This record gives sequence, structure tokens and C-alpha cells, in this order.
Amino acid sequence: MTAGFELEELGHYVEDEALLQIVMQMWDSFFSTVEPPYPAFEPIGAEGPVLCASVSISGARPGLVTVTVPQATASALAAVMLQEEALPEDEVHDALGEVANIVAGNVKALVPDAGSLGLPVLSTATPRLGNGAAEVGRMDAVWRDGWLSVIVWLS
Amino acid sequence: MRALVVDDSRAMRKIIGGALRKLGYETVEAADGAEALEVLKSGPLPDLATIDWNMPVMDGLTLVTQIRANRAYRTMTMMMVTTEAEHGQIVRALAAGAHEYLIKPFTPDALEEKLALLGLLPEVAGA
Repeated sequence: MTAGFELEELGHYVEDEALLQIVMQMWDSFFSTVEPPYPAFEPIGAEGPVLCASVSISGARPGLVTVTVPQATASALAAVMLQEEALPEDEVHDALGEVANIVAGNVKALVPDAGSLGLPVLSTATPRLGNGAAEVGRMDAVWRDGWLSVIVWLS
Repeated sequence: MRALVVDDSRAMRKIIGGALRKLGYETVEAADGAEALEVLKSGPLPDLATIDWNMPVMDGLTLVTQIRANRAYRTMTMMMVTTEAEHGQIVRALAAGAHEYLIKPFTPDALEEKLALLGLLPEVAGA
């Protein structure tokens, strides 16, 4: 069995449809007062400043879950989540970190022999997992004037 | 009734605390397990603690274990509120002493249902 085939198998555990379901479930819980995002047909390319929250997954197949949004979308999402306008930057980061944490926790439940979750890490670019890791799940969606991109990497 | 909300995310503390206050709770907060133990030492014992799993300094499972080991905290109900969704993790938390388990994301209704099962809705408790 090649490493590529194994990664393909892992992709079956974290299907794009499952990712969409996780995101929509989160939307119903924390963003139900506003219109939902709708899936994009193609991966969205980042233009302009973005904010990315990433959470690592340890275990037999270490991985990373990233949630990337334009900075303006991050502020808008945090405002809806906390029902407060004009939140300071650290609260916006904290809210997006929790979104990534929730997605990662539910993704971890789909991955065989997964270990523990890391704490959310915020950055201004989407990190990539090295050492033979591959993208095994992805969900891109459009929301208002912005977008969000959720990517699952496993090695 | 009084609840201690333990979560390293300020956003989640606001969301959980807000939902509990709507149900009639007074709330206090802690950002990790160690801070939660300090809150328990310094104030009146809450009726309920909602406890996240993955936190810096002291994680939620360690906190549950430490609370369960202290007889002074026996009357406090502990509910894990966490993204850890695997069956094995739920079993570990309940074995350590948690009374209930709520997986994030959750709706306010789901939180209310769990509290009703525990007999910890303020209006139920006062009935």
C-alpha cells in the first residue's frame, strides 16, 4: 500500500461533505441569526489580508485543521458570534480560534487513532503542513462580501 | 443558582455564560483549570461547573479529576462542554467524575436539555 493510497483512504474519513456538515452545524449553533454561507464550486484564492486559525491534531496521522477568512470577515463573524459590534482584535482572534477548535474537534472524531488537539494558533496566512502531509478535506464557502476556507491536512 | 464557566476561549465563556444567565444562573468564569481551582477556593461553591477539555496550564480532564478528589466539592455538578467528540473521550471524562457531557457546537436548547436532565434548571430546582 503506498502512502498516497493511505492518504486517499483518510480522505474518505474526512469527506468534503462531512466538513460542510460540521461547518453548517456550527453555523446553526453560533451564527443562526444571520444568513448561512453557501458552498463555492471552486477553491477560493486569497486576495487581501486574511486571518487564519489553525489547530493541530496529534496521533497516528498528525494533522492540521485551518480556517482562513478575510480579516473583515473575521470581524463580522466574531460580531455575530458574540452579538457585539466593533470587537477588539484579540477578541476577533479568540472567536476565530474557537471556530477552528470546534471544527478540528469534530474532524478529529472522524480520524482513526487520533490523539489530542492543540490549542488554536492565529496567523495572517494559511500554514501548510510539511513532511508528507496532504490536503484530505476542504470546504470553501462564500458569505456576504467575504468567504471562508476550511482545510484538513493529514500526514 | 451559581455556575462556574471554565474555558480558555473568551468567546465561549461569553456564549456559555450568556446562555446560563438567561436560564437564571449567576456566573463566574475561569480561563483554565488552575484558575478554576482558585475560584473554587476563594468563593462560594457553585452548583454547576461547565468545563472545557483543551486548555493551557491545566486541562479540563485534570480539573475534573482534582475536583472529584476533593470532598468539599462533592455537591457541585460538572459538565464537560468540549469539542472532543469521540466516544472514548466521553467515557474518560465520565469515568473521571464528570456528570454530563456536551459536545461543541451546541445550541442553547441543547444546554438547557442537559441541565433539565441534571435537575439543574433554576425553575425546576425551585419547584
